[in-house]
Amino acid sequence: MLITRLVYIFMPTAVIMAFCYAPAAAVLGETSRLLYFHVPLAWISVMAFAVSGVAAMLFLADKKSRFTRMEDSFHNSASLGTLTAVLATASGSVWAKLMWGSYWNWDPRQTSIVILLLIYSAYFSLRSALEGKPARGRLSAAYIIIAMTAMPFFVFVVPRVFPSLHPDPVINPDMKIHLEIEMKLTLLISVVAFSLLYFYLLEILNRLSRIRNAVEVQHHE
Amino acid sequence: MLNAIISNIVKDFRIEFRSRFAVNIALSFAAITTLAISLTAGGVRLGSQTQAMLFWIILFFSAMNGLAHVFTREEEEGTALFLRVTSPAAAVYTAKLTFNIAVIFIIAAVISPLYVFFLNVDLVAPSAFAAAVCAGSLAIASSATVLAAIVARAGGRGSLFTIISFPVVLPPLWVAIGATRASISGSTSTEGVIFLLAFSGALVAVSYMLFGHIWIEE
Repeated sequence: MLITRLVYIFMPTAVIMAFCYAPAAAVLGETSRLLYFHVPLAWISVMAFAVSGVAAMLFLADKKSRFTRMEDSFHNSASLGTLTAVLATASGSVWAKLMWGSYWNWDPRQTSIVILLLIYSAYFSLRSALEGKPARGRLSAAYIIIAMTAMPFFVFVVPRVFPSLHPDPVINPDMKIHLEIEMKLTLLISVVAFSLLYFYLLEILNRLSRIRNAVEVQHHE
Repeated sequence: MLNAIISNIVKDFRIEFRSRFAVNIALSFAAITTLAISLTAGGVRLGSQTQAMLFWIILFFSAMNGLAHVFTREEEEGTALFLRVTSPAAAVYTAKLTFNIAVIFIIAAVISPLYVFFLNVDLVAPSAFAAAVCAGSLAIASSATVLAAIVARAGGRGSLFTIISFPVVLPPLWVAIGATRASISGSTSTEGVIFLLAFSGALVAVSYMLFGHIWIEE
């Protein structure tokens, strides 16, 4: 499969570039190499949420049973989103300790990822409460869509509640990445590699879900 | 459709008037927490930010006790099936939303004077305070109604409603706290109120679209 081959090319390239090609940043030093793992993980946690939302919408809008596997897709995407959000939080906290002196500072990005984790945690709590109920797919899809509706409001609110400590080169008002060309290229390759890895893992999880469903159907027969 | 909405609203208010469960529980909870804060504060005058935070925490958790009841009652008493058969989903949602807005407005109307009285709040801009409380309450009711329907279908389990509501209600809660703090300090800015009304509108619109999927049995 093409995506598998691309993951096997891009992931080692991203790791090698992060450690051997990209120079250490002027003030941040060698710790700046965390950028090539922390930023893609945070990006995937948000992308996974968006993919979950779109899959949930397709699942609910599907009256002709064209997207029968969407329930597995949005659930698996949420699982991957939770994992990457935890990893992004952990890698960000380590970096924050090194740069700002404490693991947690309620910076807007830290706050946003906590909210995302809260949404994921609420989603999984709801899903456990609906175990064995036929409406489980529809209700959890509806919850994902409602949470997704509330998300743009966070973008408006959070920066007004908490001042930002995040470095200006990546997150700034003019929406441009102010990095050296080697660092920018490494970050780009890393984001592409991690995005491909996300779709690759999602496909594997979806395949596992299909096998599990088939085994359950056989078991009931 | 209009008749179905009106008859559902009348039914919900009649049942609530007989048992007064949702309002009684929410008001008792609100009164206890307000008194507990006042007692433990020991007469100390709190800052406007702390006052606004405590006020909305009381209102949020009091509302969480009452707002889910409108749907869980239908499931517990076995009347949900009849409601599905006799009324269109949109009419049920509209009636339940109206009922929940009324419940949270009653809770806010009781908590606000209690809170101002027991915590010695000096309201410099009372009209801005009232606008912030009304808009914030509307935003909580708008988001909580559809989530109450989901929780009722999940068996109405204990704290699940608070767990799934909190991440969704967090933006209006933040803004309502900011608007309340500003009103206590004397500001009459309407930015927060407009945000809360926009949030309510967005959540109600999405809820209308989703409610059929949540409510109807397959």
